[in-house]
Amino acid sequence: MSMGNEESVKKLFTAESAKVDTNKGDAYYADLYASCQARIEDLKKLAPLNNRVDFTESIEDQGLGRRDFLQWASATTAMLMLPASFTPLVAEAAVLMNRVPVIWIELQDCAGNSEALLRSDGPKIDEIILDIISLEFHETLQAASGHQAEKQMDEAMEHFKGKYLLFVEGAVPLGMDGQYGTIGARGETFVDHLHRAAEGAAAVVAVGSCATFGGIPAAAPNPTDAVGVMDVVKGKPLINIPACPANPSNMVGVILHYVLTGTIPELDSLLRPKFAFGYRIHDNCERRAHFDAGEYVEEWGDEGAKNNFCLYKVGCKGPMTFNNCSIIRYNEGVNWPIGVGRGCIGCSEPDFWDKYAYERPMANANIKAPTGGVEKTVDEFGLGLLTVASIGIGIHAAASAVAGKREDGGEY
Amino acid sequence: MKAKPGYKQVKRRSGALRIIHWTNVLGMMAAIITGLYIADPYYQTFIADPAVDKYVMAWNRWVHFIFAIIFDVTSILIVYLTFFSRVDKAYKKVIPNKQNLVEFWEVFLNLITLNRRKEFSSEHSDSFNTTYFFIFHFLMIWMLLTGLQMYVHGLGSGISSIGAWWPWMLHLVTDWTLPVSSFLVGSTATGTNLMDVRIAHHTTMWLLITWVVFHIYYQFWRTIFWKEGDISIIVGGSKYVKIEDGEKN
Repeated sequence: MSMGNEESVKKLFTAESAKVDTNKGDAYYADLYASCQARIEDLKKLAPLNNRVDFTESIEDQGLGRRDFLQWASATTAMLMLPASFTPLVAEAAVLMNRVPVIWIELQDCAGNSEALLRSDGPKIDEIILDIISLEFHETLQAASGHQAEKQMDEAMEHFKGKYLLFVEGAVPLGMDGQYGTIGARGETFVDHLHRAAEGAAAVVAVGSCATFGGIPAAAPNPTDAVGVMDVVKGKPLINIPACPANPSNMVGVILHYVLTGTIPELDSLLRPKFAFGYRIHDNCERRAHFDAGEYVEEWGDEGAKNNFCLYKVGCKGPMTFNNCSIIRYNEGVNWPIGVGRGCIGCSEPDFWDKYAYERPMANANIKAPTGGVEKTVDEFGLGLLTVASIGIGIHAAASAVAGKREDGGEY
Repeated sequence: MKAKPGYKQVKRRSGALRIIHWTNVLGMMAAIITGLYIADPYYQTFIADPAVDKYVMAWNRWVHFIFAIIFDVTSILIVYLTFFSRVDKAYKKVIPNKQNLVEFWEVFLNLITLNRRKEFSSEHSDSFNTTYFFIFHFLMIWMLLTGLQMYVHGLGSGISSIGAWWPWMLHLVTDWTLPVSSFLVGSTATGTNLMDVRIAHHTTMWLLITWVVFHIYYQFWRTIFWKEGDISIIVGGSKYVKIEDGEKN
């Protein structure tokens, strides 16, 4: 809750709904189209950066045809909330993605977001695109290590100063002067590492719940004093793509938007792109009808579970979670948590580990006090309060009755 | 009803206020019963029933929201009457001036000395009880705003059946409950989340139930021990007080 206090309060007071105006008028889109086209022409003149793979070849190598690619392009155009006429531009931008340098740094995390985009069984177009982006530096993926790796990063930052997109994965530990996390041969702390990498970036993209909101490292009692990137990096365009892991489609969406328009997409009050986080899971859930009907899975494997009933009573947090996975799902539409029969754990929300992920309805949850330690449910607290009040009342009533009788001397 | 000899009848609550009071009683019961179901559906619908007959959660939410809207309206009326009522301008009793502080203390002493000491006029609303009501309305407004904050996210498209101004206004008026709830509930993360609002809403329900328990007890206690028929204030609108020496009936 510590996000740049004044600024965040201002944002909250001026926040509009998550809705993106998808009809801004022909004139607006004509202008946008022209400027996107100009930008793509400019990018075409640039040689591909020291990368490597040609997009079209790469796609064919994976056994996907041009038709698959165009299908993907029109779906992505719709996801970015652009008119269908932009589809050819999106397709061109995808091919040109290796013109935009990306530096990817990893802080306090499990590398799950890198895994999400690399480990898909049969890579689909989103993953292939993330393969061919000009990844200048990625600690987990590169062969270099130690001084070599540092040199590579310094060179990339120097060479692409002011042009590269900085992707950050993982929370930033601030406790003990940042000594909870260090990197490289010089033992640079994560927070210094981040500051240094962010300085020359065109924009910073925080990927995954750790980088955006602190995630699991920041869960109570937060021993390392971990925070999200937006608490550390100031004065730079910043985009948050939370979720655990972040959906590769949304990463591609953000990069594409940048390649296509040179700007970052419209953001909500938590700096999440509205095209992805303007939806509440609950409102687009395939099991929503069962919620309204009062048909719930009571326990795992019961008759309700077999009938795909609503998972609210086994702790689904879809009603309080904003993400587009109920629409686009994961791994290019293969499936998503509720689709496989378990509830949403709200992984794209701040504080999800403490407040969302306990797999019980809120009323049955043992919500931890923020500092750890005392565990008490809201209902136990309430019932306790009520009991204390009732006992007080009981004592008062009894005393009043006794005292009243004595005073009256039996007289009415 | 005619006053007992030696007593006079004093008018205390207008018809409007009494109607609001009982509307709130009904609304609160409905809101708690349905709210607990929304938080944790505590009864099961028969799995064998065809889905077409069932709309259980939806009905619970419907009742919850309808009463929330009624509460909205009665709250606005109450705020208005607090300042402009012809019978009793309640705000005058919660201003912490000397007279009110003394009265508050005296009424409190009356309660804890079990009616041994009663050195204030029970003819009009007293400072203690009015402050107690003030707390209720404060909690109630917090409930409405946190509730509407959770509600507006169901209108994620930014449109509603009565126009786009409604979700826009709800965001404008209730979005501040996000950081405030995160502060109250306590959060170690960067950013604010809707779950904190929900926890705050749920906890406040318990505070309100506790409030009600004492409220009912206290009004009955007054009625029994003061012997001035206080309970009928909220039924018939008036109570009875002893006629002081030299005063005419």
